[in-house]
Amino acid sequence: MVRAALSSKRLNQAPPRFAVLLPAASVVVASLLAALPIVSTSGWYPDFGFLALIAWRLLRADPWPGWWAAPLGFINDLSTGYPIGFSVALWSGTMLALDLIDRRTMWRDYWIEWMLAALLITIDQGLQWRVAEAMDAAPAFTKMVPGLVISICVFPLVAWIVSRIDAWRLGR
Amino acid sequence: MATARPGWSRRAQYGLFFSFLAVIAGIVIGLILLIISLVAPKTFDGIRGAALDVTGPVASALHEVNATASGLITGAGDYWDAASQNAALRRQNHAMLQRMVEAKAVFQENRQLKAALDLRQQRRDTVAVGRVVGSSFNSPRRFAILSVGSSNGVKIGMPVRSPDGLVGRVIDTGALASRVMLVSDRSNIVPARLLRNGIPVISQGRGDGTIDVRPLEVGRNPFKRGDILITSGTGGLYPPLVPIARIVKLDDDGAVAIPLADPSTTSFAIVEPPFEPAAIAAGAPASTDSP
Repeated sequence: MVRAALSSKRLNQAPPRFAVLLPAASVVVASLLAALPIVSTSGWYPDFGFLALIAWRLLRADPWPGWWAAPLGFINDLSTGYPIGFSVALWSGTMLALDLIDRRTMWRDYWIEWMLAALLITIDQGLQWRVAEAMDAAPAFTKMVPGLVISICVFPLVAWIVSRIDAWRLGR
Repeated sequence: MATARPGWSRRAQYGLFFSFLAVIAGIVIGLILLIISLVAPKTFDGIRGAALDVTGPVASALHEVNATASGLITGAGDYWDAASQNAALRRQNHAMLQRMVEAKAVFQENRQLKAALDLRQQRRDTVAVGRVVGSSFNSPRRFAILSVGSSNGVKIGMPVRSPDGLVGRVIDTGALASRVMLVSDRSNIVPARLLRNGIPVISQGRGDGTIDVRPLEVGRNPFKRGDILITSGTGGLYPPLVPIARIVKLDDDGAVAIPLADPSTTSFAIVEPPFEPAAIAAGAPASTDSP
């Protein structure tokens, strides 16, 4: 058995050099999805960058150093047209909140992660609505509900894609 | 971030502590930036424009691909029911011809009357013509990305229209692309009037692609379903007599309307100079508040 392992071609194969940067890079790509030529008058599409961020963070405790959330959020603000600083603060806050939650939770499974993600997405959408309200531009809150439901339903898909990227980058 | 239990290593404990501090610093910086962009939105114009120059051309290119693909599909569909479409178009054409003759007569009469009154015909210039290539599809705000920017002469505050009607006004410009606040955005208030009887009204977006319409004078609800809204030109930002929306539903003290220029199907958007340039100098939002 030991010999078989030694003769395997997988020996001495480290993850690729960019494996450390890949999680953050995939969040940037998700943020840049805002450049897709989708012209919608309802705004029900999910905030892809945020979904990718929480999917990575729920999958791994340390996909990137915590402070990276601020520049990643800045890129998201620029590409989506949110007021600058919104994602910077929210994404850093999310990293902090999930670190604190990690210390408290005894066990995790898919349902708890989805609930947690749903909670975070709700906070994200709620804060977006509050900021729009501060700019005298908030629609009725009921208009936000379909987008919220869509985002929560899309999260497992994003989490699956993220887990595939993670498996690929680690060479599994 | 480091793991929750760094053990006895003093170095690891400090590392964890400082990483927490770094995240908290991120939150504080984000909040400060957010407050700046709420209080003084013009501060970040430059960097937002630069970001548009990165994402805008990508959206333009993807839009071309998308338009070609969907053009092929609708083209095939047109062949599919060509016969029935042909008959319908012929009927339409016939009706249009009659209307055109009437319109020509009215046009001539109008010209004579204007000559009698010695009114100068106002010429509308076009700053640039672009395409709507993207939108804020994941936010409560209603913005669109336009494929022309400051290198084409587009400036912040300029009104944007399409052949169908008013689209909105420019709020961010990059060199190659610009961001337009649509008439359906909650904070876009357009002084307007009803085409049918000229009653002055206020149009305000609802954030979901529709528009709230309120009469200026409180009293009886002057709206009917199917009424067309046009800009009044008050405030000087939007040119007068541009169609905005059609009323589809009445409510207690106003009505709900759907914009005539649907940004998702608008092929061309025309950027025009502000009706009265002083309006932009005075600050675009103030000019729309006072109809």
